[in-house]
Amino acid sequence: MQLLANYLTLAALYALIACGYVLVYRVSRVLTLAHGEVMMVGAYLLLTMGTLFHLPPLPAFIAALLMSLVVGLAIYWMVMRRMAGETVFAAVLVTIALGILLRGAMALVWTPRLQYPAEAIAMENPSVALGGSVAVSQASLLIIASAVLVYGGLFLFFRHTTWGVRMRAVGENPRLAAQRGIAPHGPLALAWGIAALTGGLAGMLLSIDTGIDEAMAIIGLKTFPVVLVGGLDSLSGAIIGALVVAGAEILAIYYVDPLVADVAPFLVLLAILMVRPWGLFGTREELDRV
Amino acid sequence: MSDLLLSVEQVEVVYHDVVTAVQGVNLTARAGQIVCLLGSNGAGKTTTLRAISGFIGLDHARVTGGRIVFAGEDIANAAPHICARAGIALVAERDKVFEQLSVRENLEIGMVAGKTGSQAAGGDRLDLKGIYRFFPELERLTGRQAGFLSGGERQMLAIGSALLTSPRLLLIDELSLGLAPVVVERLAAALTDIRDALGITILLVEQNANIALSIADYGFVMENGRIVLDGDAGRLLAHGDIQEFYLGQGAAAGERRSYRAVKQYARKRRWYG
Repeated sequence: MQLLANYLTLAALYALIACGYVLVYRVSRVLTLAHGEVMMVGAYLLLTMGTLFHLPPLPAFIAALLMSLVVGLAIYWMVMRRMAGETVFAAVLVTIALGILLRGAMALVWTPRLQYPAEAIAMENPSVALGGSVAVSQASLLIIASAVLVYGGLFLFFRHTTWGVRMRAVGENPRLAAQRGIAPHGPLALAWGIAALTGGLAGMLLSIDTGIDEAMAIIGLKTFPVVLVGGLDSLSGAIIGALVVAGAEILAIYYVDPLVADVAPFLVLLAILMVRPWGLFGTREELDRV
Repeated sequence: MSDLLLSVEQVEVVYHDVVTAVQGVNLTARAGQIVCLLGSNGAGKTTTLRAISGFIGLDHARVTGGRIVFAGEDIANAAPHICARAGIALVAERDKVFEQLSVRENLEIGMVAGKTGSQAAGGDRLDLKGIYRFFPELERLTGRQAGFLSGGERQMLAIGSALLTSPRLLLIDELSLGLAPVVVERLAAALTDIRDALGITILLVEQNANIALSIADYGFVMENGRIVLDGDAGRLLAHGDIQEFYLGQGAAAGERRSYRAVKQYARKRRWYG
């Protein structure tokens, strides 16, 4: 049972991070490789809300989330907007550079040592007993709850709102969208904004559990197989991908060796890429674009 | 005579700063007219259409000479969504509909944009019901994903969704391409209805001269990036060269030459007997 609880937590964390990759890819066809860093920015923002403004947990989270959204919009507006019309490959390279830049900037501003946002915002993170000998941290429950909320919200958003339909339209065919009078910048900026928001949220919740230092960006990298396994352009694929990859990782920890766990996601990725290179739920034609 | 809505004056389009695609193109459309632009492949019809709708910018081309005046404003080299909001809707040859969106969502995309659009069409704002009146087929398909529509249904959806942006000028590239003759006739009739009901101007780019000239008021013929002939649709339909080279009457089967080749041929025949 404890195994199952850990599994769900890890899968939820991966899913929460993965939706940022999928959003940006679906709307702009750009695979962002700076998502791990964007996630860290969120966590550091939460830390700052505590150290600098001494906010209690809830307002600190809300403020940090809003600022993450702004960070995402700013990344699009200042950097990615200029990549319009360039090749996708160039845009992907820019996201790598952006990631390195962000990591350097964060080390300068917040120092590279391990810090604990939970202390800074005076948030308790008690262990919650789920009956029997099973217990998870409060932050883990929050991660699972937010993953469910975020995905539910995104599905409704894409189905039923004007902006959601616009984002799908721009993602599928930006030219036709322009013909229908939709300027591409709004939906693209929003995709980056939401990606930074959800990624930031994942970073914040994770940092409550584990603290934050440079290593957090590696979690972002480990989520990469999740997205590729599920199919880059599919939100439901990201959920399945998270379940598969988290499953492989947890099994590796318990039955093989914890050291293998870090490699497990990439082993799954290799296996999937050999069988279905476009991912479980991806569109086949997307392949040549990657 | 009704007033001038679109006037293309001496327009020259250059691709990649090197290749000149069209040169000295003059073309006008009055409010409420159906105008057709005829010509064979590579004549520059689509380039002209893309210049008017602002899309050449995305293909590394630009208007290097002349003016494109729409409703009194020069819109040469404006961005596509600016042209769309000014009241120009394009139904392109490819990329007609959002394949992953449902029929209803495809139509609503147009309405969303129409909201931000200008005071556009003279009449009442169109809504979904208005579109279903012209194309009853679409009402039945409203929940269907657009990628699963037939060619004719796609063309109807594309025209409907373009109309919902409340355009004053509707540009249609290759209405008849890949469609059965009976479907083309149905679409052509719908275009006449749309013009009569909404009073919008339609610029039709076609290779099928017969169908185009049968619904158009006025026609232009392009060859090698220039307008070589223009006139009232009836007059063009009766024109010898048009009959021979676009309607295939009197020409030997499989022997299709360009308009320019015909001229030279006719001249040679005159000179050498």
